[in-house]
Amino acid sequence: MSNTQTITKYIVREFLPDVEVNDLAPDYDLLKNGVIDSLALLRVVDWIAEEFDVSIEDLDLSPDNFRTVENIDALVASAKS
Amino acid sequence: MTETLASAVDLHAHNQPGAPALIWQDTVVSYRELAAGMRAAAAGVAALPAGPIGVRAKKSAQAVTFVLGCLAAGRTVVLPSPTLPNETLEALFAKAGAGAVVGADDLARFTTGDAEPSEVDVPFMLTTSGSTGVPKLVPLPAQGIERFTNWVHDEFDVGPGRRVLNYAPLNFDLCLFEIWATLRHGGCAVLVDPEIAADCDTLLAFLAETRPHVVQAVPLFYQLLTEAAGGTHTLPSVAHVIFTGDAMNPHRLPPLEALFPNTRFHNIYGCTETNDSFRYELRPGDTQRESLPLGVPLPGVAADLVADGEILTGPGVGELVVRTPFQSSGYHDNPSGAFGPHPVHDDGEQYFRSGDLVRRTEDGEYFLEGRADFRVKVRGQQVYLQHVEEVLLAAEGVVEAAAVAVPDVHAGRRLHAVVRRREDSKLNSLVLRKFLSERLPSAAIPSTLHIGPEPLPRTSTGKVDRQNLVNSQKR
Repeated sequence: MSNTQTITKYIVREFLPDVEVNDLAPDYDLLKNGVIDSLALLRVVDWIAEEFDVSIEDLDLSPDNFRTVENIDALVASAKS
Repeated sequence: MTETLASAVDLHAHNQPGAPALIWQDTVVSYRELAAGMRAAAAGVAALPAGPIGVRAKKSAQAVTFVLGCLAAGRTVVLPSPTLPNETLEALFAKAGAGAVVGADDLARFTTGDAEPSEVDVPFMLTTSGSTGVPKLVPLPAQGIERFTNWVHDEFDVGPGRRVLNYAPLNFDLCLFEIWATLRHGGCAVLVDPEIAADCDTLLAFLAETRPHVVQAVPLFYQLLTEAAGGTHTLPSVAHVIFTGDAMNPHRLPPLEALFPNTRFHNIYGCTETNDSFRYELRPGDTQRESLPLGVPLPGVAADLVADGEILTGPGVGELVVRTPFQSSGYHDNPSGAFGPHPVHDDGEQYFRSGDLVRRTEDGEYFLEGRADFRVKVRGQQVYLQHVEEVLLAAEGVVEAAAVAVPDVHAGRRLHAVVRRREDSKLNSLVLRKFLSERLPSAAIPSTLHIGPEPLPRTSTGKVDRQNLVNSQKR
């Protein structure tokens, strides 16, 4: 099951308060465009662990996995499998 | 020594009594009327306690006449922004030694205090913007003002038959050019009513009707005009357009070239303490540049770039240290401050450390990098806030923008940007972030962005109120 919608909602609520959920494309580069910086990354990791009930140890924390909503979705999927 | 300007007005009233001196709202004030009003004001002022006179007046033909009256009576005029808080104003007037202060609404109403009259012998005391604290008093000597008005006239012709637009409030240093140099040399100062200053359509109609020859203003003014013009209007009377007070983005030039078909464009750099010090005349192709150069020092101006205690001789970035023929002899309330001997080679002359970082390129051109205190470290990397602002301003739909460094418990410092978009623009942070990331290093992309249609907060002299923006981000 895809969690794109949940992840998009979270990113928009936390980091893009002026943006509509539907406007954030799943392939928008969150790192290059500065939506998520290194500090924000830690918050996202915490949120993923909490929201999807996965252990941080099971997450591959390389930055590329947080580059887009799609990538985060794939990261969550692989951690849960 | 305060009477030079007043004497010039008397002389013009004698030589060309019917010629226009001021345009204000729907009235034209002739030199005859201006000189008569000035003499009447001078007579009224004579009865006041000795010393400088504080003026909290807003801009009007009456206020200009009153200021001239004070000068004719041999009084120093203290002109802070009338929008400052009352306590700040009272403290400034007391420090200036102003024995009497005229009210904001009624020029005939004085309050006299027990301020110790000061021994200053200058026509004007202006104030700094106070964006970093309490405004400082800047006395401007008569010889310096006379040299400045002569430079203005030589360069731009503000004499009989010419009309010069005044957009700035009465307390701004820009008025030395737009109002006082114009009246010194017999031209007509066209005063923009502050009531219409932000109303782009009315502003454009006012220029079309009053047909000024010389226009000097901050970039925001030109932004408003081009919004209103929409590519269909022209202002053919204007022979000189001057950008000053802030960095003009070259990408915004094409609509201005269409609006002002017969003009020469200039970029002028200066500050209250030294008045203008650099001028650049724009050339074809400048629209392709990233930013406009400062140009060359004005005649008689000495300028060095100083970095690490040495004068830069080749390309590089240093603090601009400058001496101009127009400059103040020092802050009234703090004689040293940024004024003093040259920091590297003391030649007995008084210099001003501008606090501005300037880059000299391989080709010997000068560019403003930003305020020394606008250079911040974010995640270990140098970031020039001004550069971030320039890029923000280049984005589609952006009218105003400011970037500030906000203290952050985790990161030490983080960048925050506030952007005013056009009313009809749909700009959001997704689009703007994409635009920024294509043009800025990652450390210079703001962590947080606020985008909205509301104007940026400004200080009393019209600079963006950065402290206010920083404070609004602290929690």
